Amino acid sequence: MNNNEFYIGWMPAAPKGYAKQVTIAIVVVAVLVLALASLVSMQQKKFSNSVFEYGQLTEVTGIYQQFPVPSIKVYTQQNNGSSFITMPLVGYGKHGAEGIIRSLEEERAVSLDQKQITLKGTLIYYDGKSLLQIDKHDKPLLSIAATLSSSHQPKTKELGTVDLIGEVLDPKCYFGVMKPGRGKPHRDCAIRCIAGGISPVFYVRQQNAGPLYYLLLDEKGNKLNDFVKNYVADPVRLTARAVQVDDWIVLYVDTKKGLQRTGGLSWFKENDELIYCKPE
Amino acid sequence: MSTAYSAVGWNRQKKIYDGWIAAFCISYLALFISLTLLFNSEATFETILIRSTSTLAVLLLHIILSIGPLTRLNKKFMPLLYNRRHLGVTMFSFSAVHGIFGIIQFHSLSNTNPLLSLFLSNTNYGSIPAFPFQALGFFALIIFFLMAITSHDFWLHNLSPIVWKTLHMFVYAAYILVVMHVMLGVIQYEKNPVFVLILFTGSASLIILHLLAGLKERKIDKMKFKLQEDGFVYVCEADEIEDSRAKIFCIDQERIAVYRHEQKLYAIHNVCKHQGGPLGEGKIVDGCITCPWHGYQYLPHNGQSPPPFKERVSTYDVRVNHNKVWLNPIAFAEGTEREGALL
Ligand code: HEM
Ligand code: FES
Repeated sequence: MNNNEFYIGWMPAAPKGYAKQVTIAIVVVAVLVLALASLVSMQQKKFSNSVFEYGQLTEVTGIYQQFPVPSIKVYTQQNNGSSFITMPLVGYGKHGAEGIIRSLEEERAVSLDQKQITLKGTLIYYDGKSLLQIDKHDKPLLSIAATLSSSHQPKTKELGTVDLIGEVLDPKCYFGVMKPGRGKPHRDCAIRCIAGGISPVFYVRQQNAGPLYYLLLDEKGNKLNDFVKNYVADPVRLTARAVQVDDWIVLYVDTKKGLQRTGGLSWFKENDELIYCKPE
Repeated sequence: MSTAYSAVGWNRQKKIYDGWIAAFCISYLALFISLTLLFNSEATFETILIRSTSTLAVLLLHIILSIGPLTRLNKKFMPLLYNRRHLGVTMFSFSAVHGIFGIIQFHSLSNTNPLLSLFLSNTNYGSIPAFPFQALGFFALIIFFLMAITSHDFWLHNLSPIVWKTLHMFVYAAYILVVMHVMLGVIQYEKNPVFVLILFTGSASLIILHLLAGLKERKIDKMKFKLQEDGFVYVCEADEIEDSRAKIFCIDQERIAVYRHEQKLYAIHNVCKHQGGPLGEGKIVDGCITCPWHGYQYLPHNGQSPPPFKERVSTYDVRVNHNKVWLNPIAFAEGTEREGALL
């Protein structure tokens, strides 16, 4: 090194040899910045086209059902009005809808179950499923109509015992509020949502078709939020009695058998959270 | 230089340095955001913010950690070191945006305090695949925070350089926490070998740079000095030391710099009082030994910073006999005047 070349930061300018080295460093960093920003942004998994109509309230009229999960069954114009969609209700933030429904029922001193009501809320939808967020600040209950005939009672069908591998989801985030709304990075949030009373959904990937979604209850038909809380977002195996209830399948989970984690550490390939759908 | 920290402002070099930092950060964010919107348009604002800031912070962290070994391998990288703390504060700021938005996004509006939720939602502390990776990010952020708020020289003086340096060595712990945060977190969802490869390349480059720099210094430290004469050891020939420059010798695990200044040789302890910079890699500027890292100065004959500054380093005795340089490795008290050896 040239003896006269010496650099200290407070000098007005770096000597030539130093300036050259720094220029090289700047070029290298510039290349790194471009390469990394492009590579990382382009290599992210595709985000789903799920929707949360944030800030937009929609009025929805249908039959409120307490069972299997708080939901509103909304008839559509198709098939002479005999088609319907059952939309589970969720609360504001990471809360279920039960608290709001209870306070609405207390306020009006009436049970809402099986009544036709009009709700104002925020729609969440993806992959053929819809949910409705109701928030007490929006004064969500617009009207209650008379009790309806029993023709609206859910149609059920026993599907037998199933043994499935899938993932316990928080449906609010998965079907719209967050992207990604499942898996490891989203796990803490899903735990908070499920601890907050949002009814969990079981997500099962299939080999050659889109995923399947199931509602979860325990074998007696009660909520099992506390039971699944520690298994959220992990690939798990469960055994359950499957019952079709209108447009959802409800899994009455065998809680004595419990849930078994099937996934290990994996950085490279989707492995275990797959594809297991074997009716016994 | 106790009073210098208030005096040093934003000089030209710092402005250029900060200009480049800003240009790089803005380009990174702009490119990341626009490419994501262009090719992955269903992305949400929150996720783009969380991901663009975190990955930028990790890039900056790698740059920051490379500068040290690079300057030890090649002095001409020194200008990168001078203002490194601004890089550190920038890196902390982006990690803080990432971390705070992470806490808002994943933990707010729930039935629990967001900070408690961070530790108590996922409680699989005993499992590696299910490990609560966000807690790892939190501790890394705390370390970056402590480093950022103590980065000003005010703290260096109030905490004492040793405490300060120790605190700043925690950056390596934070680095490991960040790597685990990513490997046990988002990569387990993305499962994309490209991300694993990027992170692996980053870590491997850092390890290699540190090893190379370490090997280079070990060579100096491993030098053996055999010839002894009443406490003095023979270290080199006098003409091996250039004018206004020094050679560093490591005797009994202490590094000593022997400087040549105005036809005399002087020896002082090699470790700068500021942040431990290698004084022997500096130069005599305006009659003072000048540290190559941030320019603290010491007088060759007594190891004292010129007034009004109060730093002092140890001095040593040197002798020259028939062009042979002899050094006594027993240190004099810091700031003790030694007359040096006439050439
Ligand atoms: C309170 C502190 C932190 C929290 C709560 C936190 C939370 C998170 C979360 C939830 C993710 C996954 C987000 C996603 O879905 O993509 C993530 C990813 C990541 N974090 Fe952190 N983090 C914290 C601190 C840090 C720090 C200090 C760094 C290092 C600079 C860091 C670097 C990253 C990186 C590189 C990723 C992967 C890219 C991404 O997904 O954003 N995090 N973090
Ligand atoms: S270490 Fe900063 S000036 Fe010497």
